[in-house]
Amino acid sequence: MTGAGEGLSADDVALFTARAEAARPPSQKLPPGQWAKKNLFDGFANIIFTLVFGFAGLAVLFFLAVWVIDADYEIVRRNLRIFMIGQFPKNELWRPAVSLLVVMAGVGFTSGALARNAHDLALEQDLPTEKSSWVSLIRRFWAVIAVVIFFVSFARTLTPYLLVAGAFALLVAGRELGWAINAAVRARAIYIGATIFLLSMLVIAGTSSLGGLSLGLITLFWVAGEVGRRDLPGGVVGLTIRWGIALVAAIVVYAIEVAIPYDGFGWENWGGLHITLFTTVLGISLGMPFGILLALGRKSDLPVMKTASVLFIEFIRGVPLISLLLFSNLMLPLFLPIDFERPADLTLTIVVITGFSAAYIAEIVRGGLQAVPKGQTEAAQASGMSAGSVQRLIVLPQALRAVIPAMVGQFIALFKDTTLLQIIGILEFLRVTDVANVQPDFLGKGLAPVTYLFVALGYWAFAYTMSKESRRLETKLGVGVR
Amino acid sequence: MHYVSAGPGEAHGHTTNWGDVSMIRFLLAVLAVAVVLTGVYVVGRLIYDIVQLIGERRRSKNDAALPPLWRDVKALGIAAQIGVLAIIVAVIAYLRSNFLTRAEDIGLNLSFDFLDQPAGISIADNPLGPNDTVSEALTQGFLNTIRVILIGIPAALILGTLIGIARLSSNWVLQKLATGYVEFFRNIPPLVVIIVMWRVVFLEGFPRSQEAWKPLGGWFIFSNNRFAFPSLLGQDNFDAFRLILLLGLLAAAAVAVWRTRVFNETGSPHHRVLWGVGTFVGIATVAYVALGAPIATSKPALDEAGRVFSGGLRMQMPYAALTTALVIYTATHIAEIVRGSILAVHRGQVEAANALALSGFQRYRFVVLPQAMRIAFPPLINQFLNFSKNSSLAIAIGFSEVTSLVNDLFGQSQPAPQLILILMLFYLTLSLVLSAVGNLINRRLQVVGR
Repeated sequence: MTGAGEGLSADDVALFTARAEAARPPSQKLPPGQWAKKNLFDGFANIIFTLVFGFAGLAVLFFLAVWVIDADYEIVRRNLRIFMIGQFPKNELWRPAVSLLVVMAGVGFTSGALARNAHDLALEQDLPTEKSSWVSLIRRFWAVIAVVIFFVSFARTLTPYLLVAGAFALLVAGRELGWAINAAVRARAIYIGATIFLLSMLVIAGTSSLGGLSLGLITLFWVAGEVGRRDLPGGVVGLTIRWGIALVAAIVVYAIEVAIPYDGFGWENWGGLHITLFTTVLGISLGMPFGILLALGRKSDLPVMKTASVLFIEFIRGVPLISLLLFSNLMLPLFLPIDFERPADLTLTIVVITGFSAAYIAEIVRGGLQAVPKGQTEAAQASGMSAGSVQRLIVLPQALRAVIPAMVGQFIALFKDTTLLQIIGILEFLRVTDVANVQPDFLGKGLAPVTYLFVALGYWAFAYTMSKESRRLETKLGVGVR
Repeated sequence: MHYVSAGPGEAHGHTTNWGDVSMIRFLLAVLAVAVVLTGVYVVGRLIYDIVQLIGERRRSKNDAALPPLWRDVKALGIAAQIGVLAIIVAVIAYLRSNFLTRAEDIGLNLSFDFLDQPAGISIADNPLGPNDTVSEALTQGFLNTIRVILIGIPAALILGTLIGIARLSSNWVLQKLATGYVEFFRNIPPLVVIIVMWRVVFLEGFPRSQEAWKPLGGWFIFSNNRFAFPSLLGQDNFDAFRLILLLGLLAAAAVAVWRTRVFNETGSPHHRVLWGVGTFVGIATVAYVALGAPIATSKPALDEAGRVFSGGLRMQMPYAALTTALVIYTATHIAEIVRGSILAVHRGQVEAANALALSGFQRYRFVVLPQAMRIAFPPLINQFLNFSKNSSLAIAIGFSEVTSLVNDLFGQSQPAPQLILILMLFYLTLSLVLSAVGNLINRRLQVVGR
């Protein structure tokens, strides 16, 4: 309905760009004089352009540099902790610290294992491949590294330096471990990574109910995957055994986790960059299963599933996120049973963000499903696979592989959209600037631009790096070049 | 743009209640009908399938061609659909009963009568007062959203196209500047751009209204409170003049069509823009003289204290900040689409244009851009939709477009459920209309295949 119809998507255009750039003749190395003549002073119009824009560009850069060097960063120095983790209770500060260290180790481990898996696959197929060196990794992630160093340079005590150094060390160690570990463990890298991630973010520093829910979901899919590796009777019996065992395991994990009573450490007071990254990651990972289901529902021939999916997707995509957040804040609690207390704002927000990203992911996955050639389905059906197996073993793996770059794009979009949480009173990264600027020491000092610069750099570094990575993945996966 | 036409137009904005109450109620009625029709369609399809299945099985009862019922794909499909439908209906019924219990508990008004109650808010630069009804206030909010979109989308399209072309320029400086612009603004949240534009550029960058900057002898006024521009003011015979201008526009279009036809038949240069504008200006001048100066110019002015504006066309600061920021942000995305589409135009086209000795401008204007726009248009529609949805970010800087207005109404303890429903309904309608218009244009743009 609201989509742009059957035409090309932005990803197709990005693909054209990549292909056309690859097809261009390699640029020749010219001596400086000729290079300048060709690129700067070739004809009258070009000379005018060079002079006007060169002068304007230099002027802007000059004034920006003078301002950046002259600015008073005391406001950032004094508020660095609020910028990073908001008003987290002071006596529980070790929790986000440990959580950060564990997450970094997990990220390193998973990325190392996945890189090794791709490496081994390429070796098997006699494709050129080599382990990416640390230098190349630093070159790829320079923006994030630079901004982390920039941020930590505002610290007034030693702890943040130690924390960042420890996080980097664990990242390196985790990556080497992931690369070196045996293939059986590497095959489960995604599950291990997700468990580590949720353990650290939700169990160490979060709430028991959400932590239990997420760990339960991971257990469900992980156990189903493990049981699926064994020989099971075919048909409904096998399916029942498989998902029955998985469901029981998931419920047990959920019950154990929820039995540990804690309401979340400062759950109401979470904030800063912490909440921004947390909401983004959780929104995408919880939205993914629902998004895939919705995409399959939209492609289905069954009118009930199709209508329900289309209505949900087009409704969410047709309204702005703010209206959904207002809904979560004002309306969602009204749908709970009367004896329920009003959940924390963050919990309500996560529910809505999950639905929001599910709708967008569904459209991305639908694009991937359409890109899988029909012959694949037909060949699978001809070899006697059941309808479920065709989707699960043949269509979805190819479709999901093709949409990884678009999924990263959705991640970036959600990352930028989390700024809207401030509208319903959550202290996310951008909102901290307001808090800092009304402190008595800084009120009316005109320091707002400094805080905006700080925050904008933070957003920019993450989003820029991710978009570069998604373009790299696109060429690497050869999306659409089959 | 936010204007208050001074003088005779003052009462105008107040009495023209075109489509206020009726528009909202009409949209609600359409929604209700759509929900009912969807339900009827789904249940109808399901019953039809069941009847078909029963018929099929009854006909072939004796030959063993059909699988047993629990292995029949059609039967399984119907069973699954009934299951899903039952779950959906049960969940909705459960949520509805919770909602009704809670609404009764806190005494929530669930009727739409509040639409005719006084809104209790006023909008800057708008004749609307606290005693006007909620639906009138909402209508003004809708119109403000439309004002942002109508100015912003064309501006973003033009800026984005220029930057997209600049990114492909052979001039090194221009290309690097354009790349830097795109890579910076594309990767920061639009809300950051809006807030910086509002608090830093517009509030700090422009003088206070007491020391307003008045270039060109006071015909323009720039301050951090308002921008004011000269405007036109209707005098006697204004209605007749407007009618003649409309006819002049039609005449100009007819002349342009005629010139195009002449060009197609004889190949002589058409100059259709020149001819069209000439016709229009000629008719307008004759009418202006004949009707005895039906319009006068209105010069913006500040009072003695330098606070109250009068005359001219005035633009609210948050409006200017929101539109500028969204244009800057959206233009980066449009630039990427335009760049990709230009690169997607076949190289042979460019080479052929060069072989015909077309100039750089001619090559872009007549060969590359028409083909690139054809590729770019579908993703551009998505950007236009994003722009219209992002206009809701005005809530952060207090420009009274519809979302921010609804938020103000919550503050007047107007009922939230109905207002959120109306808000979502408005954006859904807007998205539908925009994408329908976009798809229509797209169909015209595409090459007719064999």
